[in-house]
Amino acid sequence: MKLTHVYIAIWTTLSLSSCSDILDTAPTDAVVDTEIYKSTENIETVIEGTWRYLNDTYFTYANPGYTAFMRTSDAMGNDVAVTTKYGYRDPYTFNEMINSSAYRVTSLWTLLYKVIDNANNVIHKVDAAEGSDTDKELLKGQAKALRAFCYFNLASFYQFSYQKDKNALTVPIYTEPTTRETKGQPKASLEDIYTLILNDLHDASTLLKDYEREDKYKIDKHVVQGLLARAYLNMGLWTEAAEAAENAKEGYDLMAAGDYEQGFNDVGNVEWIWGHVQTSEQNTASYTFHYLDVSSSGSYYFSFMADPYFKDLFDQRDIRYQLFEWDGEPGREGFLRYKKFKFKSNLIGDIVYMRSAEMWLIAAEGYARAGQTAKATEALNTLRTARNAPLYSAASGELLEEILIERRKELWGEGFALSDIIRTQAPVVRKAFLNSDGTPIQVEITTPDGEVKKVNGQGHRVVNFPDGKPFTANSRYYIFAIPNEEIRRNPSLNNND
Amino acid sequence: MSRITTCFYAHLTLVLFLVPWLSLTAQTRTIQGTVKDTFTGQPLAGVSVQVSDQLNSTSTQVDGRYSIEVDDTAVELIFSYLGYDTQRLPLTSSTIDVSMEASSKDLDEVVVVAYGTSRRGNITGSVSTINNKQLENRQVSDISKAFEGQVPGLQSVASSGQPGTGATIRIRGIGSINASADPLYVVDGSPYMGDINAINPNDIQSVSVLKDAASSALYGSRGANGVIIITTKSGHASEKAAINVNFTQGATSRAVKDYEQVTTDEYFMLYWEALRNKNLSSNLTPEQAARNASSTLLTDLNINPYGPDYPQPIGLDGQLAPGAKPLWNDNWADVLQRIGSRTQADLNLSGGGENHTYFISGGYLNENGIAIESGYRRYNIRSNIDAKLRPWLNAGVNFAGSSSLQKYPQSEDSNTANIINFSRLVPSFYPYYKRNPDGSYETDAYDNKIWDFGDYRPSGATPRNNLAASLPLDKNDILRENVSTRAYLEAVLHPALKFRSTYSVDYINANTHDYTNPLYGNSVDRGGTVYKSNVRTVGQTWNNILTFDKQFEDHHLNVLAGHEYYDFHSANISGDRERFVLPGFYEPVAASQLNSFTGSASDYRLLSFLGRAEYNYLNRYHLSASLRTDGSSRFAPESRWGTFWSIGGSWKIAEESFFQDQTLINQLTLRASYGGQGNDNLGTYYAHQGLYTIANNLGKGGTVTNRLPTPDLKWETNLNFNIGLDVAILQNRISLSAEYFNRQSKDLLFTMPLPLSSGYTGYDANIGSMKNTGFDIDLRTIPVRTADFRWNLDVNFSHYRNQITELPTENNEPLDAGNKLLRIGGSIYDFYIPQWAGVNPENGNPLWYLADEDGNRSDETTSVHGDAGRFIQGSSLPKLVGGVNNSFSYKNIDFSALLSFSIGGQILDNDYLMIMHNGNTPGRAWSKEILNRWTPENTETDVPRLTTDNLSWTATSSRFLYSGTYARLKNVSIGYTVPQSILSRIGISSLRVFALAENLFTFYGHKGMDPEQTVNGATYYRYPAIRTISGGLQLGL
Repeated sequence: MKLTHVYIAIWTTLSLSSCSDILDTAPTDAVVDTEIYKSTENIETVIEGTWRYLNDTYFTYANPGYTAFMRTSDAMGNDVAVTTKYGYRDPYTFNEMINSSAYRVTSLWTLLYKVIDNANNVIHKVDAAEGSDTDKELLKGQAKALRAFCYFNLASFYQFSYQKDKNALTVPIYTEPTTRETKGQPKASLEDIYTLILNDLHDASTLLKDYEREDKYKIDKHVVQGLLARAYLNMGLWTEAAEAAENAKEGYDLMAAGDYEQGFNDVGNVEWIWGHVQTSEQNTASYTFHYLDVSSSGSYYFSFMADPYFKDLFDQRDIRYQLFEWDGEPGREGFLRYKKFKFKSNLIGDIVYMRSAEMWLIAAEGYARAGQTAKATEALNTLRTARNAPLYSAASGELLEEILIERRKELWGEGFALSDIIRTQAPVVRKAFLNSDGTPIQVEITTPDGEVKKVNGQGHRVVNFPDGKPFTANSRYYIFAIPNEEIRRNPSLNNND
Repeated sequence: MSRITTCFYAHLTLVLFLVPWLSLTAQTRTIQGTVKDTFTGQPLAGVSVQVSDQLNSTSTQVDGRYSIEVDDTAVELIFSYLGYDTQRLPLTSSTIDVSMEASSKDLDEVVVVAYGTSRRGNITGSVSTINNKQLENRQVSDISKAFEGQVPGLQSVASSGQPGTGATIRIRGIGSINASADPLYVVDGSPYMGDINAINPNDIQSVSVLKDAASSALYGSRGANGVIIITTKSGHASEKAAINVNFTQGATSRAVKDYEQVTTDEYFMLYWEALRNKNLSSNLTPEQAARNASSTLLTDLNINPYGPDYPQPIGLDGQLAPGAKPLWNDNWADVLQRIGSRTQADLNLSGGGENHTYFISGGYLNENGIAIESGYRRYNIRSNIDAKLRPWLNAGVNFAGSSSLQKYPQSEDSNTANIINFSRLVPSFYPYYKRNPDGSYETDAYDNKIWDFGDYRPSGATPRNNLAASLPLDKNDILRENVSTRAYLEAVLHPALKFRSTYSVDYINANTHDYTNPLYGNSVDRGGTVYKSNVRTVGQTWNNILTFDKQFEDHHLNVLAGHEYYDFHSANISGDRERFVLPGFYEPVAASQLNSFTGSASDYRLLSFLGRAEYNYLNRYHLSASLRTDGSSRFAPESRWGTFWSIGGSWKIAEESFFQDQTLINQLTLRASYGGQGNDNLGTYYAHQGLYTIANNLGKGGTVTNRLPTPDLKWETNLNFNIGLDVAILQNRISLSAEYFNRQSKDLLFTMPLPLSSGYTGYDANIGSMKNTGFDIDLRTIPVRTADFRWNLDVNFSHYRNQITELPTENNEPLDAGNKLLRIGGSIYDFYIPQWAGVNPENGNPLWYLADEDGNRSDETTSVHGDAGRFIQGSSLPKLVGGVNNSFSYKNIDFSALLSFSIGGQILDNDYLMIMHNGNTPGRAWSKEILNRWTPENTETDVPRLTTDNLSWTATSSRFLYSGTYARLKNVSIGYTVPQSILSRIGISSLRVFALAENLFTFYGHKGMDPEQTVNGATYYRYPAIRTISGGLQLGL
């Protein structure tokens, strides 16, 4: 071989290596934005992906998606005596949600606003995409309802009741897709937020009127009516609330008495109007059962114990009463289980978002507050009948009071505790489980070995605010803080303080 | 782009054909001789012997002998050897014996630089080296852990003691905020994408650390954070092959003790106090409060270590009942930690003939960590072969393969499965074996003790978990195979012109197997779980380099030109299942429920053209310049091409005639360089399009917003200025190298913050700049040098200041980055956290300072952590890092000690917070310091009152910032070389026995916390540094 050959070889190899498009690469786990908004088929992935994000995103194990909102709301109410176990012990003490640097405060905020931006993208870009008008209406309807749902949560937890002061500045509103040029928005008033919510829901109601969904996690006209009912209830529009609630529950019967102890883990339950489905692959939201489920051996924390005084609200014939049991397990002796929520056998569980029982209660409350006592009583008693509970009569007590108590009893652990306290401008009511002389009240338990013994009953461990003062109505401790990160990056927030 | 390529090749081809070549025939004669080490008198093998300005070269054999053919035109022979002074000797006779000086940093030392080698004196940039002597005594599995304290300007932080893990390396400060600040590793000439810990430290000949522009700009868009070039050993021509065996055996333990904890008695009394205080604040009378505390104490802690005789161990006075004694004291570290072991055995064979050399090695390492079920086992082989095929053609292949098994139980993160945290957080009154109430062990039918999983333990004490029982049945295995090859073909087109084409491939296959058993522990209800993942990465580099090197009388010119193409592909799959059919099966096939299966792949490519020219006159005035153009697939087509460059110069003052009359100063050189390098490692391979992450939902396709489009995003650039002075005096017995650098990073990748309410945290942008300025000092001395005794004392240290000079915000307003604040004039690691104002002496609540309207610290304080202001509280960056290396040899005994130190800087001790709760986490262990809590009697304290409410006092604040200053005796070795006179009788050529210690002592302030933490100064519940003490031998046959 001669050197000239080498030269030729070198020249040849070098020439072969020239090309430019080798530097174009593409990700395998993400889609380019421009591709997505080309067709309605592609846009549907945003609705699906956003729903997954809202429900199945871990911020921490104590913040598995949207369920964290509901658990936080319950932990800050009257009837769940949250134990010192991991998860919700800090909101329970009213230390956490007031703390703008708390991780949960940042998580919940991030969760809702990211969904809002995805919804904004769909709402604005779907019209230009290829696809049928039916598909476009459907997508836009879902996106609008989803956006309304997020703003409804913001309006419910980040400011006092609309009925207290509808001009109160609350959180910023975004209705346009975010770009690099997007600026932080100032706080909007509750009135502006509710206007947006109602507009979105009315639009969705029209857009989805013919939509027949195949899965209960999808938003259809019943869900939209249910969300409307909740919004009207917050706003004090009583007859509208009752009417929307009546529409929402149409076709969703109350469950049979025996189904009440099935564990509230299956979207197939006839009462469920809206819920999130879990599979063995997609199961982040199920983590919430580790807090709620206080009886399955596979549960980790058993932290949502019932306040013993809550039990006294039930009649012994009530099917719900059967769910109470004094815990005899080591480590949990003397706590009161309310075995409403249970894992499925493979340690997952669907998440309930909206049931017809809630709609009966909204209807009852709406009618009662609007002065239509007969209709209110009928609605309340329909539910009570289904639960084998004694029926209401004028002798039982004040009707509205009874309806609100029924809400606590029926919707325990479903996320309404704190939002009802804010909405009704009531104080949190908690009492330590002690005799009048201050000694612990003894209760009888059965240990796993079958031994029956008396131990101290465990009730509320926090019975006043962190500053030592008693619980009051409309306290700042009830209101979720806007996270520090938002405050620092969005100067507009301070402009209207 | 194709225009650039075509243009480049056209020029290259032209150059190749214009090169004339000389006839290779001439009259020849043979020169021979022996090369020895001046100091030891031992023959040196593998010394390169080259005829100046000619192709002819050979190397010395094992006995130090060489012979070489030279022709009439030959003038002198050049003897060079890595780590030794190069000698140029005239051809005055046919026998030339040489004795070479192994010296530390002499100007003629051969060092490996970008795309070649150079003599130290010819380098205009900043290059530090570590030779194999400094590495061979180290008890590390990962070479990056051996750098600490060895190189000025290099900061090395080993944040985990888990066997098989490496260290974080920063060269001359922090070059980037959001993109990678890691240096580029180059192994045997090509950028390395293999595992650093797949390289056996005993196979390494030298390590060069390129710190400035002139030395690293040739690596273009990957050189901005410095370059570490690792060169492996090669063989030497010899009549008899060399066979070397190394063996070490040692034991490992914690380098520093864990935090001290309270005793069981103290714990019970303290927790009683927390309960009582809580009851008082719930408006109970003092009597009721005390009574309820006494009665609920055991309910909360759920155990009575005092036995049934003391049903209420803490009385109404808060004191232990008279006579009560804990019936057990089970320190969980006893069952979760151990004395580990370390075994290393290496065999290498080297040799060669006239036209080939080879180095073949095999190694075995087995390290059992101090945490049970943690360890690292590695087998590796290497074969480096070089052949001279024709007088004008050389070829070689370096092949290295390794297979490792890392047993890696969770040992960072606050996860309850973290084995390090577990033994820290569970107090000793929770037994690890089940006990009867009277303290005796419960036993099973076979009289064995039964592990206690602690279903009854409160959540602060990790209930339903006993890692000592479950880990031995579980798996946390990472199996990794790494294959790295480097193959080259080198044509000597002309004595002055070489063409070299190198192809290299680095392949890693990493297979993770996590398994939790169905019998005990966390996964019983899931019937056991298994997760398996496989990651395969392949990095390929092909470069073609043309080098021209010629002396024109007093002028010397070296020119290099070439191109490089780099292709990186990574693919992964993973899946998990649960519910095993039977215990004793570990693979997914045996589990009945599929939970997930996923996989993805990514590609990264880089196309580059590069060139460098070096010139010197009289070997006295040196100039160099380099240029590289890179196209990176990370960026949009419009912004993907970037050009990087450097210039440098040096002046060897000592070579000047006016310097020749004195004898004190042997060397005096002034160096300076400037240039720009890039950093394209932004943390993503796809940094330009707007992207939606795929998030499938319940069997339907799903996507959700991920990043906003950034079509103009491009690399970060570092502009590096370096000036250095090298002085050697007293026959080179004292040499000093001092350098000042100013490293400006611009176009820094920033997340331009958006309000969270926008649905994004921000978008990527090249906005912002930062500089690192500082100095490196390298002092090498030989205080004693006699025939029998030699003492070397080397000291190096460096200091840098990291300063932000431009931010993405309007008017350069400070930018929040978690616990840090980015602001003009500050460093990127300035802590920006609430400032602790002590404990309120009146009520025992924690206090933090409030900010005034301008954000400055006011004198007002608050007990609500969320209301506290945040202020700058020092930085995590040390003021000075360095090392002191002492080595002695006396006759056949050698001793060396390396002390590394880091002075200044703060560490936020998150680990400690876990055991500093104020009583709100019942059952969680408590640090001794909690004894100093506020009480009405003890009001002057910085530990608040106890209560079961969370006072948030352990929330981030300056209360838990501790000094990061420490010194660590990294390595000590003592060895004895058995005299030749004894060995020759038994046919052994060399034998050395030795003892070694790694991390023997640590000098530091905050007890319990390993002071070697992350660069950003936050602890993360990591595996602590380990101390290794070993003995071993080196045998030469």
